[in-house]
This record gives sequence, C-alpha cells and structure tokens, in this order.
Amino acid sequence: MTTHPPAASGRWLPEPEALRLLATYDLPVIPHRLARSAEEAAAAAQELGCPVAMKIVAPDILHKTDIGGVMLNIPTPEAAGASFTTLYHRLTPHPSRLTIDSILVARMAAPGTEVILGMLRDSQFGPAVMAGLGGIFVELYQDVAFRLPPLTPAGARAMLLELKAAPLLTGYRGQPPRDLDALATCACAVGRIAAEHPEIHEMDLNPVLAYERGCVIVDAKILVR
Amino acid sequence: MSHPLDPIFRPKSVAVVGASNAPEKYGYIILKNILDAGFAGSVYPVNPKATEILGRPCTKSVADLPPGVDLAVIIIPAKAVPQAVADCGQRGMQAAIIISGGFAESGEEGAALQRDVVAAARRSGVRVVGPNCQGVNNPHHGLCASWPLLTLKGDIAVISQSGTVGAALMDWASQEQLGCSAFVSMGNRSDVDETDLIDYFAQDPHTRAIAAYLEGVKELTRFREVVSRCRKPIVILKSGRTLEGRRAAESHTRSLAGRDELYTALFRQLRIHRADTLQDLYDAAKALAYLPRPRGRRVVTITSSGGSGILATDWAEWSGLTIAPLPAHVADSLRAILPPHCIVANPLDLTGDANAVLYRQVADATAPHFDYQIIIFGDPILQASDVPTPGSPQLVIFLGGADVERQERVRMHQKKVPVFPTPERGIRALARLYAFDEGGP
Repeated sequence: MTTHPPAASGRWLPEPEALRLLATYDLPVIPHRLARSAEEAAAAAQELGCPVAMKIVAPDILHKTDIGGVMLNIPTPEAAGASFTTLYHRLTPHPSRLTIDSILVARMAAPGTEVILGMLRDSQFGPAVMAGLGGIFVELYQDVAFRLPPLTPAGARAMLLELKAAPLLTGYRGQPPRDLDALATCACAVGRIAAEHPEIHEMDLNPVLAYERGCVIVDAKILVR
Repeated sequence: MSHPLDPIFRPKSVAVVGASNAPEKYGYIILKNILDAGFAGSVYPVNPKATEILGRPCTKSVADLPPGVDLAVIIIPAKAVPQAVADCGQRGMQAAIIISGGFAESGEEGAALQRDVVAAARRSGVRVVGPNCQGVNNPHHGLCASWPLLTLKGDIAVISQSGTVGAALMDWASQEQLGCSAFVSMGNRSDVDETDLIDYFAQDPHTRAIAAYLEGVKELTRFREVVSRCRKPIVILKSGRTLEGRRAAESHTRSLAGRDELYTALFRQLRIHRADTLQDLYDAAKALAYLPRPRGRRVVTITSSGGSGILATDWAEWSGLTIAPLPAHVADSLRAILPPHCIVANPLDLTGDANAVLYRQVADATAPHFDYQIIIFGDPILQASDVPTPGSPQLVIFLGGADVERQERVRMHQKKVPVFPTPERGIRALARLYAFDEGGP
C-alpha cells in the first residue's frame, strides 16, 4: 500500500471540504453524499441515481486509486452498500484513517472532454490559474496555459484556446464544440478563490468534464497552508 | 521637465566623474563619445589628477562643479561610488549613470556597496542607472553616455539588462540606417528598472516601439500597472527560460508551472510581444515601430522571384494571413499592361523582367483590394526605393540584390520604410501586428 507523505508544507483538504468550498463559488461540482455505513451508502446511491462512484475520504491518502480506494460504475444501491463494506475492509489494516472520515458517494459523470483547471502561488508572481486538456495532453505534451488573476471571461477563454489541443474543445472532426463559456466561468472562479483565500496554496480540479452544455468538476485537490 | 527621468535622457549639462586621458579606459571613451555625439550642453570632466582631458578643463571633484549640472556619469572604483553619489546629490544633481562594476554582481561585499549607493541616492534625491552598466544613449538629445558611438536617430527604444545585447540591437539599427530613439543599459538595476523606463518611453515623443532584453522583471506589481497604461507596442526577449524549470510536485498545476510559463502568461495578458531570439527581437521591434497597422488579413504578394513568393505564401499561411485571389477585373487589367510571361496571380510574379515601374503599377492596381501588400524584390531592382509609399500597408522584403539591394534598403530606411532580408523574417515580423487581435487579456 502506497500513500503519499503530507505535502512539504501545508495539508490537503479532505475532498468533501474541497468540493464544498468550490460549491460556494457556484462551481459545478459533481453531486455527492457522504456515507458512514453501508445503509447510508445505499441510500445516497438511491438519491443520487446510479451508477455511482465511491471514494475513501482520508486526507493523507491523496492518490486513492493507489490503495484501491476508488470504485467506479457501481450499478445499484445494493451494490453501493456492498461496495461500502469492500472499501471499509480495504482500510482495516489502517483503521485509524476511518475514524473521522467517511466514504464519498458521487454520481458517475457522463463522459466528456477531460480538462484540468488549477491554481498555484509563485513566490514572485503570486497566484496563477492554469488550464490544460486532461489525459495525455497534460502528461505527455505539457500542453497547459496560465493566466494571472484577476481573470476576465475573455481572458479565460483565450487561455483555453491557447492550448495546442484546443480543437478538442472547439469541435474536432465533427465532434460538437464544448462549452467554453462554462469552462471560462470556472477558471474565473478559480482566480477569485485565489484572491479571496490566501491560505490556499495549490489547487487541481482534475478532471473537469466539459460537455456541449456545461461542465462538471469530478475531482478536486486543494492544498492549504 | 515633464518626467522624473528627464535628467537622465535630456540633461542640460553632464559631468563625467572619473574622466581619463587613457584612451583604453571607459572614462576616456565615454567622455569622447559624449563630445563626438554632439551634445549641446556643457560637459565637465572630473578627475583630481588631470588638468585637461580631450581639450576640456578638468574639475578636481564633484564638489568643485558649478551648480546646475543635472547628470553625472560615474566611472570610478566601486568603493568610491557611494560617496560620489552623495556628493552629486549635495551639488544638486538629479541623476547618475554608474558605469563602474564591482557591486551586487560580484559578491557580498559588492552587494553591500550597492546598498550604500542606493541609500546615498535616496537620501539626496538622485536617480541612478546601473551600477555595472553600459550607460545611456539618446541620439535625439545628442547624448551618447555609452559605447559604441552611435548617433543615428530612430523610433525604437532599447532597454537592456545586458549592455552588449542592447548595444547589438542599436548597432544593427544604426547600420541599417533606421536608428534608435534611445538605448539604456540597466546593469544591476539598483534604482531605475525596466518599469521606470517603459513609463518614460511611453511618453517619449520619439519612441514608437519599445524593445527590451530582460533576465527577469524586477517589480511585478508596478510593471503590470505601468505596462497596462502604455499605449506603445513592447517586445521583450526574456532569457533564463530553462534555468527556473518545473519541479516535481504533488499537484499537476505546481509541476507544470515553471517561471517561463508564468512569464508567458504575464506577457500575453499585458499584450507584450515575446521574442524568442535576439534577431526576432530586432525584427519585431522594427515591424512594430515602422509598419503601419493592418486593417485585415488579406494579403497580396508581389515578387520577382518565384521561390521567394512561395516561401512568403508558406509563412503567410502559417501566420494566419489570407492569400486571396486577385479580383478578375484587376487581373485582366494587369495582363493588359504586363509582359506576357508575368504570372498574374497571388503571388504575382513579375519574373526576371521586373523593374521599379512594373512593381509600382502592380502595387497601385492591387492596393485597393488587399489589406497588406508583401513586396519582394528578389533581384537587383534599380530604384526599388521608389516603389513603396511611406506610411502605407506594405511589407518590403529585399534579397538577392547585392549592392543595389544594400543601397536601396538604406534609401527606404531613410524614408522610414522597413526592409526585411528574407520572406520568413519579414512575414513573422508582420504577423506581430496581428498578435493580439483575438482573445481578451
């Protein structure tokens, strides 16, 4: 089992807290509930609508997939209840991790174009907002663009269009164009969060799934110090 | 005086502190350049040991200078500089250009001396360029407090954190008979920095474009404020791009954000053109200072060289320009007047028969139908300089013309029509004018 050590300085917000903060800025976070038992997990799945994804909430386990802490495409509320038990048992070697936290049940997002939005603070530049296209474009080609807040909607759009892979957003090979305005609105909100929360040092919204209309933030990591 | 930096650029009189009789010393070279550039005000060599330098009576010390000298150029050992700056302030001087090295660039002792210089300057209200710099050259004021001696007046202001890099730009512009509006070598930037200088050149009537070589921006907040107010085009060559790389980090955002990416963002947001090479910096500055702004992207190429025309088409396409066909009636009327083997299309190839008269006819006939004309002289075209109309949307490229080319290029430059040496360099420079058409900051 691999876990990441705590960030050099600062701590990662538990995901429910991160999502809550984003929601207060009207950012479109994936609908989700917290479950502390198999029954609560089943009820959450029922309420959200299946299929759902389930993730262990534990601040010091950043990359949850590394420990099998994420289960996707859970088809029914009953399966959600069973998955709770499975995830719980995966953690039993380290029960302390489950003492305060719980398991997050989220609606499975429809497939969309994977975008990453991020923020960091640089010692010289101060906050900077980043956009990239998810998957191999960020990993392999480091195809990202930055803006320094405050961001305007036009500036945020320009940042997205600056990406080499921007055609994936504007309609490539007959694909429908993605909602650039919705993504730009998210990027502007990230800029506002940077300005209003000096304690937030880094932020990854990854992935943000972009659709013909709207977008949804599926996963969020926020480092505070 | 309308700007705080006027004493640096437009002094009424200059003292050269550390003037020398030894021709290899900067104390001699700079004094000589100030005199040879034709500075109209009084010039005072200051040296305790000499009575006369370059035919000018020498003053023993700064304290002995007559009142009213506004600029000191200081070329003395580093240890003596803080006191000299304090003396300048005492004497009522408003600015000092410190050429001497041995300050922050040379270690902790030098850094302490530089702090002393800044403290002395602040106390006495003296603005400081440098230390460790190559000086200031303002040809429009006959002030060459720098080297090499260059006096040609032009429209490009050069700001440089490296003396040599900036001097090279000014040298090229002078050699091409375009000239510069000013050159400032900032050295260690103990006081005057790129932001102060952009603020100055933004209001300088002789400057139409600002070109800068920077290793980094000194004060970001003020830089953003001043540049957003500047209405003149700015192009920057920022070096050290690989030095401050990305680092491993837990968030993707952190691992992908090197300083260079942040500079890219900063420059785009401020509509600063970014140059990738020294040559690119020069070409961009030339285009931004001298080419009229385009109405749109439809271009026509007029050439005597088929190959150059095709190269131009490639670069135009890559640069987002539109090679639109000639309107039929324009093509018909041109066929009636041009020799039969000319290729009446876009590019319009006048082939080996080209001469200035034909170029001019084609330019006049096509001008109303295009946003920009790309005029390529691909042979020794006599009187080529009569073809372009100064101030009209025409990009001139001249190659393969040997002595005729060199002569005609100078003539065009004297009319403020910039000439580029290859289709690639010309069109990349032209594309700068369209760089910020799309997208907000």
